[in-house]
Amino acid sequence: MDKNNFKNQYKNGFKAGVPVILGFVPVGIAFAVMARQAGFTVLQTCGMSFFVLAGASQMMSVGMYAQGAGILAIIIATFVLNLRHIIMSTVVMNKMTDGSKAARIVAAFGVTDESFAIFSTEKEENLTIAFFFGLISATYPSWVAGTFIGAVANDLFPPILTASLAVSLYAMFIGLLVPNLRGNAKLCVLAVMTAVCNTILCQFMASSWALIASTLICAFIGSFFVDLDDKKEDNADECC
Amino acid sequence: MSAVKIWIIIIGMGIVTYIPRALPAAFIDKMKFGKRMESFLKLIPYTAMTSLIIPGVFTADANNLSIGIVGGGIAALLAWFKCPVMVCVLGAIAADFVLYLFI
Repeated sequence: MDKNNFKNQYKNGFKAGVPVILGFVPVGIAFAVMARQAGFTVLQTCGMSFFVLAGASQMMSVGMYAQGAGILAIIIATFVLNLRHIIMSTVVMNKMTDGSKAARIVAAFGVTDESFAIFSTEKEENLTIAFFFGLISATYPSWVAGTFIGAVANDLFPPILTASLAVSLYAMFIGLLVPNLRGNAKLCVLAVMTAVCNTILCQFMASSWALIASTLICAFIGSFFVDLDDKKEDNADECC
Repeated sequence: MSAVKIWIIIIGMGIVTYIPRALPAAFIDKMKFGKRMESFLKLIPYTAMTSLIIPGVFTADANNLSIGIVGGGIAALLAWFKCPVMVCVLGAIAADFVLYLFI
């Protein structure tokens, strides 16, 4: 890929990642507040976001730490909670059309629920490593920045605003998923089935396991009856 | 030595979180999968995203079910009409903001 093309792809990726910033900053703030209350310094709080980049597990770990959990217990719980990324990274790396192995191993650090969701629903020509690096250039710094803001200046934000922002990551997943459902009845059926399956499984096991199980089971069942090429004629980019 | 303990936790978490992310990058070279496997992998984004949304969205505010329903509902409506993701996110935030003013 020539330099110009790389630049363009990088820019496109960054733009695609902008909605994540709205979700990551407030969640980063919320995490930082928890971490500070649990006794983490500002540097440790930001350090965790910098080295781990996985919100749910970070919140869980500071919660466990505050309750006096041991090092090993926290690390094992983190591993289990983040095991889902192996599925997501598999999809991302399989879709990615270029990039050396070394570059991909670096890029893999940026595989999160959010970057996976965006990248895996991108159109064919955007499935480059440059696009992915652009994407995580928007998401990763906003996660660390949100953490920093929360660690030093939490009380500057009106609670009603931070509460309203809680829905943003869900809204982003919805914004990525729903347009694909239009015009593909079988995919709609699969989505409803997955939602029911995950909701039921969540009653019986930790939500991290439920997510892995419902993702794999329902994708397997779906592979027998869902044809993703069905919806192609509806893909015209009309917009609200 | 809680400072040391915390840093060990942070680094340990970093390592165990990175490994599942890196393994596929190290071992998957645009493999050619069979047709069923290909179809399975293509569907994972949709089943994973659905699982990330439901039931989690209903607990966006653990004390108030309506926040998740209204915010998520507005996002779904905007997304159905193919609004850009950013518009869905801003719409959901605005709807919840207004809702909080009334509850």
